[in-house]
Amino acid sequence: MTRPRPEPPRAWHDPIPQAAPEGIYPPTEEMLRAPVDPKVQQAQEKRLRAVWAQPKGWRYISAVNNSEVGAWYSLTAFGFMLAAGVLALLMRVQLAVPENDFLTADRFNQFFTMHGSAMMFLFAVPMFEAISILLLPALLGARDMPFPRLSAYGYWCFLIGGIFVMGSLLFNVAPDSGWFMYPPLATKAEGPGSDIWLLGLSFIEVASIAAAVELIVGVIKCRPPGMRINLMPLYAWYVLVVGGMILFAFPPLIAGDFLFEMERSFDWPFFDPARGGDPMLWQHLFWIFGHPEVYIVFLPSIAIAAMVVPTAAQRPIAGYSWIVLSAVGTGFLSFGLWVHHMFTTGLPSLSLGFFSAASEAVVIPTGVQLFAFMATLMLGRVRMILPMLWIAGAVAIFTAGGLTGVMLAIAPFDWQVHDTYFIVAHLHYTLFGGMIFPVIGGVYYYYPFFAKKKMSERLGRWSFWLTFTGFNICFLPMHLTGLQGMPRRVYTYPGGIGWDWLNLISTVGAFVVAAGILVFAWDLLRPKRQPPTERNPWQGGTLEWSHDVPDPGWGSRSVPYITSRYPLWEQEEFLDRLDSGRFYIPDAPEGLRETVVTSAVDAVPQHVARITGPAWCTLWAAAFTGGAFIFPTFHMYVPAVISALLALAAVVWWLWTSTAQVPEAPLKDVGLGLRLPTYVSGPQAPGWWGVFITMLGDATGFASLVFGVFFYWTARPDFPPEGAIHADPVFVAAAAMLLCASWGATRVARSVNRRAWHGLTRALLAAAPVLALAGGGAFVLAVTVPDMEPTSHVYPAIIWALVVWTCAHILAGVLMQLYCLAGAFAGKLTPRHDADLWNTTLFWHFLVLTCLVTAAVIGLLPGAL
Amino acid sequence: MEKARHTSLWQMIAAPIVWAVHFCAVYAWTASACAHAGAAEEARLGVALMTLAALGLIAVFAWRAWRQWDLLSENDHVHDAPTDGHRRRFLGHAGLLLSMVSAIGVSFVAAPAFYIGSCL
Repeated sequence: MTRPRPEPPRAWHDPIPQAAPEGIYPPTEEMLRAPVDPKVQQAQEKRLRAVWAQPKGWRYISAVNNSEVGAWYSLTAFGFMLAAGVLALLMRVQLAVPENDFLTADRFNQFFTMHGSAMMFLFAVPMFEAISILLLPALLGARDMPFPRLSAYGYWCFLIGGIFVMGSLLFNVAPDSGWFMYPPLATKAEGPGSDIWLLGLSFIEVASIAAAVELIVGVIKCRPPGMRINLMPLYAWYVLVVGGMILFAFPPLIAGDFLFEMERSFDWPFFDPARGGDPMLWQHLFWIFGHPEVYIVFLPSIAIAAMVVPTAAQRPIAGYSWIVLSAVGTGFLSFGLWVHHMFTTGLPSLSLGFFSAASEAVVIPTGVQLFAFMATLMLGRVRMILPMLWIAGAVAIFTAGGLTGVMLAIAPFDWQVHDTYFIVAHLHYTLFGGMIFPVIGGVYYYYPFFAKKKMSERLGRWSFWLTFTGFNICFLPMHLTGLQGMPRRVYTYPGGIGWDWLNLISTVGAFVVAAGILVFAWDLLRPKRQPPTERNPWQGGTLEWSHDVPDPGWGSRSVPYITSRYPLWEQEEFLDRLDSGRFYIPDAPEGLRETVVTSAVDAVPQHVARITGPAWCTLWAAAFTGGAFIFPTFHMYVPAVISALLALAAVVWWLWTSTAQVPEAPLKDVGLGLRLPTYVSGPQAPGWWGVFITMLGDATGFASLVFGVFFYWTARPDFPPEGAIHADPVFVAAAAMLLCASWGATRVARSVNRRAWHGLTRALLAAAPVLALAGGGAFVLAVTVPDMEPTSHVYPAIIWALVVWTCAHILAGVLMQLYCLAGAFAGKLTPRHDADLWNTTLFWHFLVLTCLVTAAVIGLLPGAL
Repeated sequence: MEKARHTSLWQMIAAPIVWAVHFCAVYAWTASACAHAGAAEEARLGVALMTLAALGLIAVFAWRAWRQWDLLSENDHVHDAPTDGHRRRFLGHAGLLLSMVSAIGVSFVAAPAFYIGSCL
């Protein structure tokens, strides 16, 4: 029965009611037990298969399904890892013997810079995103990620940016100032190397943040009905924590990149001490990103271990709450460690002490999870399956790396070994143990899920023992090389001071590691003529092992009702019910891709979300975004602006044609006696969460710029300099008031639209962008009328940077207001369908805060100082 | 009786947020006290006061989490059932553990100010 029911009476000032879920929840055992007619099942399967079919032939690249995008993503990241590994081998050849001339000093500089940059930005972080995009929907019994086209867009950005950055090696113009790009070395470097690093990797960071948003919203809103927060797979907990960390760690680097590129391109002196700048600001911003980054790499890999260990032990994980504590606690504490990369920069010893202590404290939550794994293994009956072997190797190596980490956190010890090979040994122990080993173990574990085939047990053991022994042969001696004083990043060294044979051993070990990785790569990629694997080869208990073999593309035949942490072990007749379509949305009668959206904590079903299918606009958007970042590297600003506008056009087209569409009916029968809204707005909608999470990251970037202002104020006696010109207070005040008015108009438009006052809604939405543009103009006048010259000193430069940042956001806010206005005229924005306006209002909440802080800093601070 | 905070993830991470705010405040206070005045004693006194305030707040959150966990009346610490009660106690348990780690973190971070009496 879909007959529209009569409208309840409504006073003129009441908002129009929104659709709400109707019917029975939770389902009764009787309902779950009722059989489904096999003919109905077949018809449903046919329709689902058609809806979720992948595009064929050359159109395949327009696919957006998580299983496709995830596979491309992880293979691309693995390819970059092999390339970066080759750089490492070439460097080891150069260092095998003293006074070697295999590589020139310049090329060696490019290689170590790109080895670090590629391993971090093109392998470790993207690999987390790739594996999570592949796995997460299956772990949550969802059909796909909430924003499939966003994943595809992120992937194409990553591919373009990665090829651009790595390709620079072939032209001998790669960045060569180290992966952390310290000024003044990097700001003064000749050639486009530093620009390639800054713009190319900023581009990839944007893609990383897009993936983080997608993953967080996936975990919070796309869990299956019944999967309360205390039943969530541990992997999802880690994804939530790591997504949050990316939001707070990457934006400071993007803000730093912005300042850095302004110095390189326009000579704004942020890091030039002669004009009041300070290179230390870059070090802070870089390491506020760089240290959490290490944990961003480590936590998701250890999350794989948290999935393998219960399967190997054939029992539920011991200490679930303790592991959640560990993930969340590590996520927080890892932000208090960044200065331990800067112990030798001459900060007050009191400050060093804080960071040293926090570096020791982070050991506690990190250790707790290892003990929880040990406890699970001790309580269970362990089968030493191949993935478990890799996890065991990971724990051994990571623990060794952790112990040298405890040593290095003591500042006086760090002073002795800073910038020596001891550090190289330590960081490779943590990253191999914390990332490479668990990820390879995870690939062996999940290969039957990804590819529906099996990898070779024998090659896997060969690969493990080669990698494990080779790794220790290569990196264990480096502790000694470092203690004997050999510095990092030197292209050669004199013979006869005790470093020769240690280096030779390390080089031999490096090639053994390479052999191990090659065996793995061959096993991964070789053609496999074998029958499809059984469905649950390791007898796992979590949802991903309910996958279908072969893969029909739909993710989950029906979206299950979950009552246990290990449904395959503990829920009665689970697979039968799932496969026969006994659970939610077993059918696709409208021919649309759908998934169920639930509440954040208790996973009560709220909404059936229509999700996007194959598209070209994401490819166009990625290509033009690439142009907008790549052209400025060569100082070609006109093509860059054209690219940016085209990218914007592609994104607007993508949003307009596929998001927040007015559905055919307000409610839809999703099965088990439940009817869910097909359109929701505000905090119930995944899109609103996407905006909220993106804006948290954006606010962090802005906070980093404000941190810059206060940093200069504490670190520099001449900030602001004597007799400095300040921003015009009248224009600043006008800007603040106009922007508040624009924000108010947007917020009021949201309320009056709900009351169907169409004329007033449109008037407000038309006035809001005019007010916003006037406010942005007033900000520009505030710095141009008094003629603040940004190249003269860091004080006007940082004020300008705040104004540029704020105005760019105002432009985005204006576009969103105009988008809503156009939607109101086109019938896309109605009193019942107002998701776009909710999202715009949310953006403006953040924007008005940004504007007020900018106004306070540039208008009020000079008086306060 | 189910309270709003029993369903809140924010409540669970309240204690680590206190840790983060304390960390930033201690760092910023020391940096400005040392940079502009060279006043080590002032810096240490400020750190001590902020630390007492932070530990006090964490104690409040820990007490609330302990009540929410409700270990003594249930005597159960595996919260894996699909019920409101198990979800509430799970969030309480995780909140309590995080309060403990945060309290250790805050004390660790403050410890250097106890021993180091100079801005150099």
